[in-house]
Amino acid sequence: MTTVDSPALARDRHPRTNPLWQVQAEILKIRTTKLWWLFLIGVVLVTAWALLRNGASHHYELYPPLDRIAPAERAQAVTQAAHANTYAGHATIAADMMTSGQFFGVLLAMLLGVLAVTNEYAHQTATATFLTNPHRGAVVAAKFTAAVAVGALFWLVSTVINLIVTPFYMRSQHFNVALVDWIPLRSVLLNLLAYAMWSVFGVGLGSLFRAQIGAVVTGMAVYLGGAAAVAVVFNLIYLAYHHAWVLAAPVLAPAVASLVMITPGRAFDHAPPQWVGLLIMAAYALLFGIVGVLRTRRREI
Amino acid sequence: MLILVALLVIGGAIYWLAHRRSAQPEPAVRLGPAARASLPAPPVGTPAPPGDGAARIVVSGLTKRYGEVAAVDGLSFMVEPGRVTGFLGPNGAGKTTTLRVLLGLAAPTAGIATIGGVRYNGLPRPIRRVGAVLEGSAAHRGRTGHDHLRIICRAGGVPAERADEVLALVGLTAAARRPVRGYSLGMRQRLGVAAALIGNPQVLILDEPANGLDPEGIRWLRDLLRGLADQGRTVLVSSHLLSEVQALADDVVIIARGRVVAHGSVDSVLDSLERPSRTLVRTPEPDKLVAALGELGEHAVVTPTPAGDVYISGVDAAEIGDAANQAGVSLHQLTTERPGLEDVFLQLTTGEAAIR
Repeated sequence: MTTVDSPALARDRHPRTNPLWQVQAEILKIRTTKLWWLFLIGVVLVTAWALLRNGASHHYELYPPLDRIAPAERAQAVTQAAHANTYAGHATIAADMMTSGQFFGVLLAMLLGVLAVTNEYAHQTATATFLTNPHRGAVVAAKFTAAVAVGALFWLVSTVINLIVTPFYMRSQHFNVALVDWIPLRSVLLNLLAYAMWSVFGVGLGSLFRAQIGAVVTGMAVYLGGAAAVAVVFNLIYLAYHHAWVLAAPVLAPAVASLVMITPGRAFDHAPPQWVGLLIMAAYALLFGIVGVLRTRRREI
Repeated sequence: MLILVALLVIGGAIYWLAHRRSAQPEPAVRLGPAARASLPAPPVGTPAPPGDGAARIVVSGLTKRYGEVAAVDGLSFMVEPGRVTGFLGPNGAGKTTTLRVLLGLAAPTAGIATIGGVRYNGLPRPIRRVGAVLEGSAAHRGRTGHDHLRIICRAGGVPAERADEVLALVGLTAAARRPVRGYSLGMRQRLGVAAALIGNPQVLILDEPANGLDPEGIRWLRDLLRGLADQGRTVLVSSHLLSEVQALADDVVIIARGRVVAHGSVDSVLDSLERPSRTLVRTPEPDKLVAALGELGEHAVVTPTPAGDVYISGVDAAEIGDAANQAGVSLHQLTTERPGLEDVFLQLTTGEAAIR
């Protein structure tokens, strides 16, 4: 019984801790529980569902069933269809199809980020983590990196499904847009950024809460309820102040910001341009990144 | 372009935050002569520590306050390599708080705790120097024991095969690929010990390690810790199982209300006890013996036992024997009884256990 005779340790000659080890350990932590592939199945399901939903709605946009539309609205439907049947319209539809599943996909990426932090406290593994690496900032940075990697994986799986389905959909709807065209490609890349930023957002949010359930519920409330709440508030403000910017202001909600970010053109009436959504998402990711590091460094384990 | 700039800004900010502390490496806290002078003397009978004291634990003036309550209040002691040191105290005495501060998990309000002269957070690779088993530390229930250790290996930069080695060392190889959910309390303790041994550390710190272990497990742990100390390692074991520590420890640090009440080798602490030893005497003529002792003018205190024997304190066994010889009283038994650690502990800490 001795711990000295260790062939494994005989090969260990590192003088200092390497920050990359923690990143690898964080990825290993995610890989060694069931959560990530349950979430991955979730991503596949929401992507499939979103493809169906988007496909159907764009079909009616391209080919409105005029005989079933009230005569008063027929003219508008025809105008819309004419607009959709331009190259720009087709490209926008392709972009939308190629980012199917984003709404719930990034929610899952965020929740995985939240759980990557709160699981450490819920399962009392934080002690082992910080004993092995007492540099808390490096641990949180590793968690951000691992969460972004998993977010990117979710994006990749979702995008591959979209990439398989979208060409068939375009053929069935009698149009063709090269998917390397800048409009769909930009949306796909911005979608990756959305997954990454929501993952960072999740890790930061997870660091704020001691209780796992508190972090999860808050994350979902901010994501799902935040958009509606902000829309209601700014619509009320609009009643008092008739300025167009008030109607654009819901972009301040993170969920709206990421939608604005990936949608070519305008995500909703009076919506600000894509770059505004990007900036707001970046600000949130940065804010929560800083908050996550500061909170974890001060925390007593 | 905008995306690139945004990514760079976020990445840069996070990197800066993460490395702000490590960019300015904390000077290894080495205690100067003045600081050393203020420390308590090493325990009686402790051999000179080998080498440069790289495995010595020094706690100096450590205070940890939670609001008004001082969980640890100016605590100072040393733990030497090559010995098992028991860290004792009633519930709420501040044992766990002290260990958490020592291991960098909580920040001290005042004072310092070092291992080999360096604060835990300043160790270049703590996993290779210090192993710890703490209460309130666990493994994810859905992970296997092997995965739990593999993660620690990866984070500590130790080859993954080390996980198998320590699993064998603690006798968990058969259960290594099962989820921790199905482990008994004793198996989880063994897993904790395995994690502490990953880096083959010079210093081992264990908080209540015997909790949940069956008698066989306690024996196993005792042999393991004894063996590690005999290899020259520093072993600090907190416990409220006093009998366990008495059987295992060379030195003890006893604390109550966040302060040291006794510190030294087990023998020296026992010797320092105010309560004198007593002698059990079995004789057919106890009254005659008591009378003979009275004639000697000694302050003998005689307490009869239900079995008809007497406990005599205030005089030692030699004096009792001499008195019996002179009085012609035959003695069937003459046994000096010294108080155990349990008695010392109770004497030192009675009334100190408190919900704080």
